[in-house]
Order: sequence, then C-alpha cells, then structure tokens
Amino acid sequence: MRSLLGAAIEEEADVTLVDMEAGLEHLSRSGGTLAYADVLLMIMEPSRKSILTAGRTIALAHELGIPLVYGVGNKARMPEDGAFFESVAAEYNVPLAGIIPHDADVIQADRSGENMTAEQGLPVRQAIDAIVAFVDKAIAGENPGQAEREALLKERERVDKRLAELSVE
Amino acid sequence: MKIGIVGKGGVGKTTTSALLCQVYARRGQRVLAVDTDSNPNLALSLGLSPDEADRVPVLPRSLVVGTGNGAITPADLLRDYGVPTPSEVTLLNAMAITQAGAG
Repeated sequence: MRSLLGAAIEEEADVTLVDMEAGLEHLSRSGGTLAYADVLLMIMEPSRKSILTAGRTIALAHELGIPLVYGVGNKARMPEDGAFFESVAAEYNVPLAGIIPHDADVIQADRSGENMTAEQGLPVRQAIDAIVAFVDKAIAGENPGQAEREALLKERERVDKRLAELSVE
Repeated sequence: MKIGIVGKGGVGKTTTSALLCQVYARRGQRVLAVDTDSNPNLALSLGLSPDEADRVPVLPRSLVVGTGNGAITPADLLRDYGVPTPSEVTLLNAMAITQAGAG
C-alpha cells in the first residue's frame, strides 16, 4: 500500500521534487520518498570523487524501478568538463539530461547566504530550463499520448461548459 | 511527476533542486519540494529566512513511510506540515527517513 506521503504527493502536487541527502539509503522502497519516482537526476561535478558511488546509485534506481535515470553535470568551467560528463554518462550508460555551467553568481550566493535575484545566474537558469525541457520530453516519451490526452480532456471540459452555458441562454 | 535528485555532498544538489522547482512553479504547476537533509538548506534556497527554515516542521517517520490508517488525509498532511515559500513551492521536511526498514 502506498504511504500517506506518497498519496499526498500524488494528489496534492503536480511535480514533487525530492532533494536527497548524500547517501544511498533513501533509494530503498521502504524509504518512501523515492519509491515510485518517475525520474532520477544524478548530479555530478567535474571530479572523479563526485561519481564514486554512481554505479551503485544507478543500480539501486533500477532495482527501485525508476524508469528514467539521467546524469546532470554541474559546475562545468571548460570544454574538458563537458567531455568528462559525457564520458562518465557513457561509462554508466545513463544519458546526460544537461550540463550546468560554473557561475560566479551561484558561488557568490553560496558565500553570502542570499539567494540569487531573478537577473542573476542567467547561464545556470538557461541550463536548468533546458533540463526541464529534456525531462518533459522524456516523460512524454515514457507515456506516449499522455500530453494529447490531457489536452483533449481540457478541451472536452471547455466544450461541455460552453454547451451548458448555451443551453441556459 | 516525481523527480529524485541524488549525488555526492557538495555537487550542488540543493541549488539545482531549488532552481528546478522554481521553473515548474513559474509554469503554474503545484510543486512540492521534499527535503531529506538534516540541514535546512533547501528551505533557504527556496527563499525562507534562517528563522523560518528552523521552524519548518519535520514529518514524523510514521507519515513518511506509514499509510496513516485513514486518520489523516494527504490534504491534512500538507496543511499541517507543508510550508509555503516565496518561490511558490511548498516545502516538506522529511529528514527522518535514514533508517530503511523492511520493505
């Protein structure tokens, strides 16, 4: 039976994002929060250390039945970093959902404890937008026809409403 | 849709999580951010003050993995434990899930 938190997530939110503490114990079905996740994004930085447990993480994700597992490269400063992320993704056989550039605004925000303003961190925000678009596409591919079905249902709602209005008039 | 963000400490999980949440929220979607970290970093990244972040209630473990036995509904859970943030993202603190029991 689905946990209460799992049910809340499904009924009360369109998107639930779970920020996992470092460590793999959350990737357990009994852990609740990551069970039944649709997408797992594995964030890396350009260092071997950051991917030490990647293999185990990916194996657990597959065991949990998470259908879409992707890598995300973060803090990329130079072309070699991008190449590093590509090679790691190939090594572990997970597609890259995107690469986020190193950004002085993010570092500055971390230092000051203040969040970036909407005008700051534009390259990072663009990369995040691209990752969201990537995930949208992946989800649509996983559930072909879903977007069209939702659009049609909305249209039916609108048509029904309008027909009801017309019959009153 | 449910998205998990994983990775070693220090790679930028929390900043990335907050920015992703903000993109979905700006599209008008109802976004729930679940923090499993014992430090309230995600709360801060979503725009809460340190004081507000400290006051985010922690979900009891029985609600993280339990079924609630019908005593509390999903809507109740969010009303009692969900915290609105300036990012228009609702935050839940589910830090107490480290002891994975029998599945």
